[in-house]
Amino acid sequence: MSSNKNDDPISDKILNIAKKNPKGISDKDIIAAVPDLSSAELVAAINKLLQQGVFDLFNQGGSLIYRLKAQTSKQAVKGADNEEKVVYNLIEEAGNKGIWIRDIRVRSNLANTQLTKVLKSLESKKVIKAVKCVNASKKKVYMLYNLEPDRSISGGAWYQDQDFESEFVDILNRQCLRFLQQRADKIKNNPKGPILGRTQSFATAVEVQKYITDLGISNVKLEVEDVVTILNTLVYDGKAESNVYPDGSKVYRAIESLIPPPGLVQVPCGVCPLVFKCCSTGLVTPQDCKYMDEWLEN
Amino acid sequence: MSHQLGRVVSEILHRYFGELVQQVGNDLFIYGSKPISMIVKTTGLPRKQVIESLRTLLKFDLASFEPSVHEVVADYKLLPDNVLLLIRYPRYLLQIKSKYGTEAELLVEELLQQATSTATGLLVTVATKNKDDKEKNITILKLRDTFVSLATAGYIQQAPVADTKEGSSDVPSLVPVATIVPDLDTRQLLHAMTTGSLADIKDNIYWKVNYDRFHQDFRDDIMVKAMTRRIDDNAGELMRLLLQQMYLSSAAWAAESNPTPALDIREAVRRAADKSLLSQHVDHYLKVLEENGAGFVRRVGDAGGGQLVVCGRRAAGRLLEAVLDHVVTERLGSNAARIFRLIRAKKYIEEDDIQKHAMLPNKECKELTYKLLEEHFISVQPMRKAASAGGMAKAIYLYHIKTHDVAHTAQELCYRALHNCLRRAAHERNKHARLRDKQRRVRTIVHGMRMRGEPQQNIDDVEETLTPPELALLKDVEKRLKQLSAAELELDRNLFILNWYFMYSK
Ligand code: SF4
Repeated sequence: MSSNKNDDPISDKILNIAKKNPKGISDKDIIAAVPDLSSAELVAAINKLLQQGVFDLFNQGGSLIYRLKAQTSKQAVKGADNEEKVVYNLIEEAGNKGIWIRDIRVRSNLANTQLTKVLKSLESKKVIKAVKCVNASKKKVYMLYNLEPDRSISGGAWYQDQDFESEFVDILNRQCLRFLQQRADKIKNNPKGPILGRTQSFATAVEVQKYITDLGISNVKLEVEDVVTILNTLVYDGKAESNVYPDGSKVYRAIESLIPPPGLVQVPCGVCPLVFKCCSTGLVTPQDCKYMDEWLEN
Repeated sequence: MSHQLGRVVSEILHRYFGELVQQVGNDLFIYGSKPISMIVKTTGLPRKQVIESLRTLLKFDLASFEPSVHEVVADYKLLPDNVLLLIRYPRYLLQIKSKYGTEAELLVEELLQQATSTATGLLVTVATKNKDDKEKNITILKLRDTFVSLATAGYIQQAPVADTKEGSSDVPSLVPVATIVPDLDTRQLLHAMTTGSLADIKDNIYWKVNYDRFHQDFRDDIMVKAMTRRIDDNAGELMRLLLQQMYLSSAAWAAESNPTPALDIREAVRRAADKSLLSQHVDHYLKVLEENGAGFVRRVGDAGGGQLVVCGRRAAGRLLEAVLDHVVTERLGSNAARIFRLIRAKKYIEEDDIQKHAMLPNKECKELTYKLLEEHFISVQPMRKAASAGGMAKAIYLYHIKTHDVAHTAQELCYRALHNCLRRAAHERNKHARLRDKQRRVRTIVHGMRMRGEPQQNIDDVEETLTPPELALLKDVEKRLKQLSAAELELDRNLFILNWYFMYSK
């Protein structure tokens, strides 16, 4: 609020209380804070502030409440026309989840061209920004300039400028597996018995998170839930299983497949892209199959 | 029955019994069941040869017959599943050898070759064949004891006999008989050995190999190995003991065994006590097996330490999944396998959610999903939302896995692969038939010369008729054939798991 130069001390005082009470202040609060004030002076001061657009006015339970507007709010309003204000308010309301242009149009009742113009102008003033949505690449949402986009929009740690960083995920996936594998053998022939061995071979997400952080491979701070996401990919890779401890926390353990690679994948036909075209006679036959040749060579 | 199965069966028949049997087999496979005259008509083979082929098929239990509608002639039917077992023979031998030793192997081998035989006939034949083999030191008495153990353990059983009750149709039917462990007279056997004739012995009970008993062993082995991989040797051993207990009270292939008291297991562990770690921590191992053993074992009730159930069906399902995972991984890559498993874990899942959980780039994720769809590993179910205003009605697509269908896909793949291996092997044999023949002849001649004690010089001369390039080629062919037959065995193992799964889903 320092930008807001108010010469008279009464306004300053009122603003101070208002800052301390972001929920809003009533006439009574003001009188309590600035007792030596006539009601006429008070009204004059408040009117002045309202004119400057510093306050929003609410009616709460019969008494009036003044609430301080956010700083940007005031900036936006400065020199803005009505359309901009409306649009601005809608965007502000949406918070860090952002709002889709369609929804703005529907709710503001503005024509498409006009809306685009308004948004452009707000954007150029650096009051709002457009953020690409990770789970729908074509979709853009608008939010206030200074807000950090929500995880559901930005995708969290896995996205750099809305691009999915699959290599990063791969590296983490491998490192997590390494960590689990280091202790996986604890369950085997553990002299203290298999239950203890199993506990030793389990790792909680927090432990894994610590390991990853200590490795220093990530310059983004990974939350526990991020690590859980990665650990779950290991489960889907069939390389780990998860159990739930009695206290409800999830633990992970590296496992192997129940069987070694079965016969089908040991022969070339099992992985052959032509297998459905391969016949006893014709162009593709087992007799003169190149894959078979290669396989039988070594 | 699938076309692919027909192709495999045809190749197998060709390999083991030659072209005629193959033709008859093909004919029966295509038409289901039919009488001799019809087979003659469609195959165009002389009647005599058709009958000969059918006799072979019937002898080895590869075909069955039943009275046709006219009651006077029989309809013949191919049993493709039994034909497939022909490539499993080496495994039967290996199994029985490792469990009961060389004698058992010889007996089973002979019995497999003869399809059926009387006990005395079998024993005398095997004993005579190995008379001169000092190394193995086979005696008829040892053979007899082995035979009795095999019969007791159920690896061989009495062959079904023809039911000749009058009043039924002209076509006999085969009825199975309960196996009675025979009491074989030692003196008679020894006498038959010395005279070399079986004429004096009245033995009209015929025996055959009981495949199912072997298959139980194979199944147990898979389960034990799986637990060893998942937990450790002790858990594997415990699984074995559990299975043993299961056989005492349940049908071998029960979807779920009858509950076995944990007490009995503990007792069994104590008796098999060389695994000290296991006996120290039986209860813990039981718990870990139950919780981390892929659901092979389930606990019911808590009374007296609880009771345990072996879940055959679930085990088969899990192993099937493991097979499919491997197949998807190898065919479409590990990221596709991740998606595949994810869909399985979530049962039904939308495309967007796949991407979110699999943590793969959007584009790659979509591509892989469509590839999975294309190769029939996953299915998609469109769900149309009730039409909402303004063309916004968007269908959601739910991906899911129809396990049974996917298992069929895998089975088809196995059949194709097996067929191709068989075919390729036949091709290799054919291509080098002349050379292989030559080698065989040289070998026989050399063998004969050695027996006669002819000078080494002459032997070398004969051996040298095979030139070094020829020898190299032969070695090469030999190697390929070996690799192919190893692959056939592996494919058969693969099919075994699939069939085990199908056993419960019929
Ligand atoms: S024989 Fe060759 S072409 Fe045919 S399925 Fe096998 S690998 Fe593929």
